[in-house]
Parts: sequence; structure tokens; C-alpha cells
Amino acid sequence: MNPGPRSNGSQLEPLLRVSGLGKQYLQRRPFSHTKIAVDAFQDVSLTIFPGKTLAVVGESGAGKSSLARCIALLEPATNGTVELAGTNLAALSGKELFSMRREVQLIFQDPSSALNPRLTACEIIAEPLLIQGEGTKSQRRARALQLMEQVGLDPAWERKRPLEFSGGQRQRVAIARALALGPHLLILDEALANLDAANQTLILKLLAELQAAHSLSFLHISHDLRLVSEFADEVAVMRLGRIVEWKSTRNLFASPEHSYTRELLASVRSVQSILLERSA
Amino acid sequence: MLTQRRKLAWPVVALAAFCCVVLFAGFFAPYDFATQDRDTPFAPPTAIHFVDAGGTFHIRPFVYGPGDSGQSAESSAQGSDQPYPLRWFVLGAPYKIACVFTSRAHLFGVARPARIFLMGSDGYGRDQLSRFLYGSQISLLAGLIAAILSVAIGILAGGIAGYYGGWIDELLMRGGELFLALPWLYLLFAVRAALPLHISQWQVFLLLISVMGLIGWARPARLIRGVVLSAKERNFVLAARGFGASDAYLLRRHVLPQTYAVLLTQITLLIPQYVLAEVTLTFLGLGVGEPMPSWGALLSSLQQYSVLSSYWWMFLPALLLIPLFVVFYAAADALQELHKSVPL
Repeated sequence: MNPGPRSNGSQLEPLLRVSGLGKQYLQRRPFSHTKIAVDAFQDVSLTIFPGKTLAVVGESGAGKSSLARCIALLEPATNGTVELAGTNLAALSGKELFSMRREVQLIFQDPSSALNPRLTACEIIAEPLLIQGEGTKSQRRARALQLMEQVGLDPAWERKRPLEFSGGQRQRVAIARALALGPHLLILDEALANLDAANQTLILKLLAELQAAHSLSFLHISHDLRLVSEFADEVAVMRLGRIVEWKSTRNLFASPEHSYTRELLASVRSVQSILLERSA
Repeated sequence: MLTQRRKLAWPVVALAAFCCVVLFAGFFAPYDFATQDRDTPFAPPTAIHFVDAGGTFHIRPFVYGPGDSGQSAESSAQGSDQPYPLRWFVLGAPYKIACVFTSRAHLFGVARPARIFLMGSDGYGRDQLSRFLYGSQISLLAGLIAAILSVAIGILAGGIAGYYGGWIDELLMRGGELFLALPWLYLLFAVRAALPLHISQWQVFLLLISVMGLIGWARPARLIRGVVLSAKERNFVLAARGFGASDAYLLRRHVLPQTYAVLLTQITLLIPQYVLAEVTLTFLGLGVGEPMPSWGALLSSLQQYSVLSSYWWMFLPALLLIPLFVVFYAAADALQELHKSVPL
């Protein structure tokens, strides 16, 4: 197993430490009662330090989204451990787990399916506070309006519903909601994939601002190596459910070891060279 | 979306208008539903005239009084036929509005001894129109109670089965199939037979309606289970779970609201079905008893062959059910369209 880059922030306690994590799905064979185990990912070990961004890159079907869901406590992992701020999540009681959910939030790929179309922007953003039983109704609303402003949404839109927002604005609503509980780790599961290039840049800028303001850590899951390279401190390359290479972004681009990483980099470069040729 | 709303408009307006008339049946009905008149059994629908025997045109329509009605048209030489003008907003038999206020105002009527039977009269000389309007209250209420009951149980069973899945789902759905397989008519016979003979009409009625509603839960439950199965997989449900939401919260706030459109359509479809069930039950003598009118009670006189063959107007209540059911199905159809057009 690749030990990963240890050079940066070695004195600090990691915010997230994932070791030997694996997830198996049981799939029933058609016309049969026998079930077969399908590995989504196996033996994944990662660490993220406070205020840093780790990108996990890989093709679709590599198990990235399942990994995101397991770390975000949305699905139980089959084996391995997830430690958040030094606490082993598997050892927590229901109540402790309930409050631990504040620490880690997931942002989905498709904001239109991640937001309930029946609720207003204000209700959506205040929902985590409501579920965690925080504040009175007016306090929650005030906090939601404040968050809307933080992510660049006009607080006057509080009564709008998701369908009235554009794709980029919806993703901002989702980000505001994820920030409501003051998490330390944000997991972006292809959060930029459904946006156009201009919006991707704007949201990336917003995320960078938020990271600086709240010392957030990001686990950025993407298939787009070019996009994450502008943003991530470290990149882990995932293939067929395993992490095949894990390095700081600069090192990865400078000296890719695994053949799959080279393929990925080559494809990025070929796109860049095509673009250059066109503009020339 | 707009065109769908417009399409929804006419069935809803028609239903609302009908419900208004039924709600204020006492006002729209010229007579009390139970008042008998032994002089006019099986009177045909009263003819309303504008031109009298002498050929004079009257602006106010009129009817002919008793004794000479029927013959009057043919034997116009008879000088005794007396026109009784149709009057609007007359005082007549007292009735209750919303079970509280007593009123005697009726929309229309004629002075005694003339009678106005727009839908004819039954074997006891009771006005069929008045009985139809009062009977609509009972029949529609029966349909509504039964439909709401079965949908309420359906949402509970279907919601739980779809949301939790696994053995709970299996148990509930196989149980539902058992209920679908029940021959409900014979079950109701058995229920009625199990009850003591002398209990109040209302108790029998409510009990049978409840049983009908209770055994009809399986179909709506299946439908709701299907909606819940896809609704619970949505990312916003997953997101709320990520904030630590409980199952009850998720069901109430995110999953069940997605079933409301289907539910509304289902209720609109079920009401006519249960109204028909009431008609069948009462026709067979199991439902509402005399002197209370209901659509089934109105039609039950058709069991006698003499009535069936001689008095065509006794079929009128059945004919009136057709447009009403059409309106219900049109409303259900429009609701379904509306629900399809709401993007999720």
C-alpha cells in the first residue's frame, strides 16, 4: 500500500484517517436465490489534514462515490476504520454518531436531485439545523440567510424553490446547506461535474474562499484530473476499487508511477495540446 | 403546467357545484325526503308549461293541479284545469342546514294542492328529486369515508413497506394480496349477518362503510409502496439522513409528500367505486334503510318487475350517476396529468 505523502503538516493530527476501508455489495443473481458479493472498493487508506484538500480521481465505476458515502456516514463500510479527529466512528454510540454527523458533510453531483423541490431555499439550508435541533425557527432562518450571503446568493431569494434556481445557484444552495452545521470536512462528490466551465470556476473560487475562512478540509472526488489539479494539495488515483497512487499534486504531475496515472495525465495533456493547437 | 391547470378546472368546478347543491340539499329540494303523499304514487315527472289550454303564453311557467293533470292536455275543453305558477324562493317543509340552523326556504315550489315532481315520485308519493338530493349526501359521504379510510391505511402500509423493505415489505404486500383476493361482497354479507338484527341504521351503515374501506387498502398501498421505493432513493433523502434525520422525519418531510399527488388521484378514483359499492349494498338491502334515501335505496325499487317495466322515471337516478362518475374520472385524469407535469 502506498503510504502517501507525509511531508506536509506532519506534526498535525490528521482530521480524517481512513485505514483498510472496504465496501461490499451483495447482489442477487437474476432467477436465483444465491447472492454474489461485489466489491465497490477495498483496502482504501487515506489521511486528510486540517485545511487541506485531497482529490480522489478515477474513472466511473472505480468506487469513488461509494467511498464518499462511507466516509460521509451514509452507508456502513464492510471493513476497515474511519477516524475523524481521532475518534473511531465505528465505536460511537447512536447518540455520539448523531452529533458526529455535524463534522462531515457531503455535496452531491447533481444539485437538483439533492434538494427537495417542494421546499424553499431557506427551509433547505436550515434543514440540518432543524434536524440537529439547533436554535429557534427565527434563529435558524437568520443563520440560513447569513449562509446564503456567504455562498453568494441573494438572501431575498429565501422563498424561491430549487427549480427557480440555475444549476450553479442550486449547487450554492447545497453548499450553504452543507456549511450550516459548521463541518470540518466537506466531501465533494463530483460536485462540479454538472456545471458549465464558467460556473465550475466560480464555485471553485467560492470553495477556496470558504476553505480559507473556515479552515475546511475537502475530500474532492472527481473524474476530471485537470479540474482538481488546480485545487487539490494531494491527489489519490483510484482504479477498480483500489488506490493505485497517492502523491502531492505537483509530484503526481512531475513523476507519475502507475501506468493508469500516466494514461490519465496523457489524456489531460492531449486535451491541452489540442486546445493550444486550435488557438494557435 | 398552465394547460394542465386549465384542464383540471372544469371537472373541479363541476364537482364543487354538485357538492354545493348536495350540501344544501334541503334548499334545492322542493320537499322533505320522507314526506309521503298517498294520492300520487308513481307520478311521472311533472310537465312544466308556458302555454295554457287557451293558447295564452305565460312568462312564469306553471304546472297543472291534481285531478286534471294528465287529462288536461288532451281534454282541453275541460274548464276546471287550474294552472299553479312555479314560484322561486318559497317557504315549505322545514330542514336543517349543517345540522344546526332550521330553515324553510326552498329554491322553487308550487302552491298546494299542486305538486311538482321533476323526477317523478316513488311508490309512496315521495318526490324523487328531493330523495335524490338528500340521498347524494349519504352516498357521497359513504364514498368519501370509505375512500379516505382505505387510502389512509394504504399510505401507512405502503409507506412502511416501501421505506423499510425486507421482511416487513414481504409481510405487508403478501397480506395485501390476501385482501385483494377477498370476495368483498360476501364478506360484507357475513359482517352484516354477524351483527345483531336490531341496531340503528346509522350504525349498520357506518360499520359497513368502514369494513368496505378497511378491506380496500391493498390497491392504494401497492401504489404508494412503488412511489416510496423510488422516493426514498432520492439524494435529498440521503442528504437529510446525513444530517442525522430519523426515519419518522424522513418519511414525513421528504418521502410521503412525494406520494400526495398519487394519493389525490387515487381518492378521486376510489370515491365513485365506493359509491357504487354503496349502491350495490343498499340495493341488496344491506346498506341504508328506509326512510333514509341513498342512491342505492332509490334504485332498489327497481327490484320489482312492475316498477321496472312501467315507470321509466325510476331509472333517472341511475342515469344521473353517469355524468357524475364521468366528472370524477375526468378529475382523476387531470390530477394525474398535473402530477406528471410537476418535475421532480
